[in-house]
Amino acid sequence: MRGRRWLNHDTTGEFELDLAPLLAVMVKLVPVLLVSSAFVQLMMVETELPQIVKEAVQQNNDPKNEIAKIRLEMNGQAGIKIVISDKGKEQEADVPLKDGAFDFQGLHEKLVSIKQANPKVFKIDMIPGAGVEYGDIIKVMDEARRSRDNRITFPVFDSEKNAETQTPFMFPEVVFANSLETGV
Amino acid sequence: MSRRKRPNFGANRRSTFALNITSMTDMFTIMLVFLLQTFATADVQVEPVQGMRLPSSNSNLNPIEGVRLIVTKDELLIGEHKLATLKDKKFDIHDIDGADANFLPLLFNELDKLAKNSTDEHIKEGRILLQADASLPYDTLRKVLYTASMAGFPQLKMVAMLGN
Repeated sequence: MRGRRWLNHDTTGEFELDLAPLLAVMVKLVPVLLVSSAFVQLMMVETELPQIVKEAVQQNNDPKNEIAKIRLEMNGQAGIKIVISDKGKEQEADVPLKDGAFDFQGLHEKLVSIKQANPKVFKIDMIPGAGVEYGDIIKVMDEARRSRDNRITFPVFDSEKNAETQTPFMFPEVVFANSLETGV
Repeated sequence: MSRRKRPNFGANRRSTFALNITSMTDMFTIMLVFLLQTFATADVQVEPVQGMRLPSSNSNLNPIEGVRLIVTKDELLIGEHKLATLKDKKFDIHDIDGADANFLPLLFNELDKLAKNSTDEHIKEGRILLQADASLPYDTLRKVLYTASMAGFPQLKMVAMLGN
């Protein structure tokens, strides 16, 4: 008897899953998430840096340290001029306009080579011209902040470990050098 | 005469029926995953002003609290309070100080009032969260930066849109 009953048992393993409670949860969750979702993500541009880079930036700000100064002059008609002042000598590099607009790719390549030559410098003075658009200033800050290529890193001294380490940051500290000039 | 069979409405109708909600559950699952991805987790929520095109940046820092200064193509606002009007992306001559062409007296007075009356930490630290249109010239923004620095707000945080 027992064996016959087992033979009649449904062995297909199919059953109907009750999805109604799951759906009820989702119907409540979806409006909550729709209200709190950020479809346009806004970020902030500033210099929040790893500790070792922060220390290096502080050293840059110390007038006792004789570190090269880099000035970046933006001009809507001529392009970008990079001036490196080191021990009384000035070196210039130009990034001319490309198709009537700033050449950000060219600027990044030039900044990478400047950083390789001056690994201790983490700060640049930016001097945008009066007509330069705010969007272009932010793009230049992006290009200067860190290396696009993760394989390119720069040496920085870690005082905690007392050893040299590598960082992708180039010039994270940007100062608007002409912002406090009085207007005439 | 042949007798037509009358339709018997309701005779075989069941009062309950099983609704297949599998496809609907699939759809909601996809929506849920998408919405969870875009869920905002930042402490400070910044809402972009209508009609303003923010610059884009690859910075991945979430905004922090600060005095919200908004410069659109047409006006300068502090929070929702309008301070000055812009014409052709430039400040009106009446809003600029006569002796110093980079000084905006109305903005200075407002920031000065905030600095004196508020006990908020971000105001004490002199932090400004600047939302400005990407097409504005530096000359216009410099006036805002200059005046804010004069009023004791040197820490500038620039709001940008994520992406290139």
